[in-house]
Amino acid sequence: MTSATLVEQLAAGDSRTPQTDPVTIVIFGGAGDLAHRKLLPALYNLHLDGLLPPRLAIVGVGRGDLNDDQYRDFAKDGISQFSRRTIDDSVWQTFAPALFFVSASIDDDHGLAKVGARLDTVEHERDLPGNRIYYLAVPPSLFGTTVRQLQRGRFVARQQSADDRPFARLIVEKPIGRDLDSARAINDALAAVFDERQIYRIDHYLGKETVQNILVMRFANSIFEPLFNQKYVDHVQITVAEAEGVGTRAGYYEQAGALRDMVQNHLLQLLALVSTEPPRSLDADVVRENKLQVLLSLRPIAGDAVDANVVRGQYAEGFDLGKRVAGYRAEKGVAPQSGTETFVALQVFIDNWRWAGVPFFLRTGKRLPKRASEISVHLKAVPPILFNAHPSGRLDPNVLSIRIQPDEGFALGISSKIPGPKVQIYPVQMDFRYGSTFGGTSPEAYERLLLDVMTGDQTLFMRRDQVEAAWRWVMPILDRWAASSDALPTYAAGSWGPAAADTLIESTGRQWRPL
Amino acid sequence: MAAAVVERTWRDSTPEGVEDDLAALWRDVAGSGPSIARAVMANLVVFRFRERRNRPGGERRNGTDEGIEALIGLHPSRTIVIEHERGDHAEQAPTSAGVGISVFGSAATRYGVERIVVRSACADVSLLSIVRRFLRGDRPTSVWWTEDLSRDVLSDALVDLGRQLIYDSRDWHDVRSGFDVVAPLAASHRIDVADMNWRRLDPVRRALAHAVDGLQPATSPRLSVRHRPGEAALGWLLAGWLAARLDPPQTAWPAIEESAAADDVLTLVIDHGATRVTTRLTEDRVHVSRDGMAPIIVPSPREQPAEAMAAELRTLSRDTALADALAAIGRRGVES
Repeated sequence: MTSATLVEQLAAGDSRTPQTDPVTIVIFGGAGDLAHRKLLPALYNLHLDGLLPPRLAIVGVGRGDLNDDQYRDFAKDGISQFSRRTIDDSVWQTFAPALFFVSASIDDDHGLAKVGARLDTVEHERDLPGNRIYYLAVPPSLFGTTVRQLQRGRFVARQQSADDRPFARLIVEKPIGRDLDSARAINDALAAVFDERQIYRIDHYLGKETVQNILVMRFANSIFEPLFNQKYVDHVQITVAEAEGVGTRAGYYEQAGALRDMVQNHLLQLLALVSTEPPRSLDADVVRENKLQVLLSLRPIAGDAVDANVVRGQYAEGFDLGKRVAGYRAEKGVAPQSGTETFVALQVFIDNWRWAGVPFFLRTGKRLPKRASEISVHLKAVPPILFNAHPSGRLDPNVLSIRIQPDEGFALGISSKIPGPKVQIYPVQMDFRYGSTFGGTSPEAYERLLLDVMTGDQTLFMRRDQVEAAWRWVMPILDRWAASSDALPTYAAGSWGPAAADTLIESTGRQWRPL
Repeated sequence: MAAAVVERTWRDSTPEGVEDDLAALWRDVAGSGPSIARAVMANLVVFRFRERRNRPGGERRNGTDEGIEALIGLHPSRTIVIEHERGDHAEQAPTSAGVGISVFGSAATRYGVERIVVRSACADVSLLSIVRRFLRGDRPTSVWWTEDLSRDVLSDALVDLGRQLIYDSRDWHDVRSGFDVVAPLAASHRIDVADMNWRRLDPVRRALAHAVDGLQPATSPRLSVRHRPGEAALGWLLAGWLAARLDPPQTAWPAIEESAAADDVLTLVIDHGATRVTTRLTEDRVHVSRDGMAPIIVPSPREQPAEAMAAELRTLSRDTALADALAAIGRRGVES
């Protein structure tokens, strides 16, 4: 019998607090936009909730000429602007000393040495054991260089098991490539230095409360799961709509487009979650394996099938809240003849026993009427008899809608009799809202995801084979578009996409669910 | 009976800040008393001109804040009030916005209904981008046009958003123009139409169905409708319905006349061979007399305007009788 350490003895039976080891979080691109808006506010909120390990250092690395105090000011500014909770001075006083900055470029040996020396010093001063999380908040083109330098500087020991200490973990942001080949190249570069169990590929959609709740809703309630199959479900819609235009991201977006930016990752991940088989356990690899099986079951869309099942579009001039807004091609940084799609709608089939013949309609776009992300599961209509017999008043089929943002929650639409002497039926909603049910504000996705990295839980992160399976599936669509000389359809900003998107679903006798 | 408001909150906002400000109001309301449910059965888009907001509306209170509140207590709807500024405006952003929550019910059953007011001088094309932003798409959407459809141009954008257009033809200054707007709409199936005035014919239609029992349809009847001033739309609706229902339709078109001396709201006379059926609609009842039969008296429903409108909002099926009546009017055209 092995004797437990004192730490293990004290932590035994405490399932309420995630067990996090002392750690140094190194953010490459530490003075960038992602760190400012998301990462530092998320870490602050984790600190506020007492979820960060008591011994911790957060070291920003970047080319900016900042000292530690200036970096703390930078962090405080980001937290003040973007944190879901207001900054508390007394809490800030306990958080700020954990923040450091190294002004260095890691792609040269001098910078590498500077970063290494500073990390050693900080860890020594704060009595940290050398557990490190490297967050690559840098463009994907720098992923390979950065990890090679980490290896060169001997910052990384390849992990043999999840329990190895000190650990080194790597977080990378999407996009993982812009096609299958480049995704493989990035994954190869990461794999040359890190074991797969050390790599955390973030899809921040998976950290959202409602998304995490999908599996809970399906498998912790006996009412839903028996219905989630081709026998009862007519179709499923997944919409990720943005009201904003391309904004300051034109440089990236021009090379990406909606299919790469949203469908290949976020929408396919949502699709996998809502349609996966029950996992045999909540072990990260079991859940991820099940999701992979969905991706592998997607019916390929290639050749002529692309034209029949995929609609793309680009926003033209239109209105946003009554204000006239420019079309995509008139946006700063966008080529005047740009062929980049800002909208995609697809009809997708999962060729497995559970979902045979059930269409999944996916759509995403910029400059749509509102910011709204939702999965809606449309159950089959009741037969046209009894209450559904009158042609002029067909009953709405039941719809289970899962709102991802904003106003997170889910609702079940059911038909109910209106009180009164006549049998008059009205669609009512059984509506659950996070905000009003649990009060307060839900943690940001990055809070949950960063905490999961600290605790070593990879469930909500994409595995290499998932990423590549998703790319493999979208490639024929990209190839078809690349070979096409057809004009890109446009849609007015503030509308729900090109008319062809409506035709896509209406040709099947269905309609996009209004959001 | 309309539910009474027990609490009201309001704050000025901006079009961009509407949802955040509403969320803040909900937090305030939730913190101010017993638990509260957020009631949203539907979306209700109310179009009114700005000066209408506090204008005394008489009994009907069409589009006034008071009238809206009475309605949403009965049919809790996310209410989006487009308060339009008259004039020939170019495309402009909304000038301002406000949000409010009206709380109804007892302490044990408190429910709140949210209201968004957007003051706008937008052109029709840009109006759509405002309303779309605030709709709860998963709920049925009704558009309540509180203004005179016969005089003010109906927004095409709003028509395309809703499943139902509610208006009141009693408001029309020019009956012909009003029917010119709604008849094509009803025929097009773009949107279901609900005329609050039409509801007043319910007891007439029910009473008539009993009164003509035993009469053979083969003989073409002679029909005449007399209405008092201000009730021309009602007279035409009745005529349209009769024309749509009786066979052959066009021979059944009644003569319509206005009579300043009439006490009744309207009177319908059907001469069916040797039989005369006279139907009189007064403010509170329908009286039908037929030669040789006991009179039929049907009371008009005692419903408040808000109750009547709530009943329309809850009806999701197309009112085929009204649609057919409008189609008949559309085919014939309203005579001046």
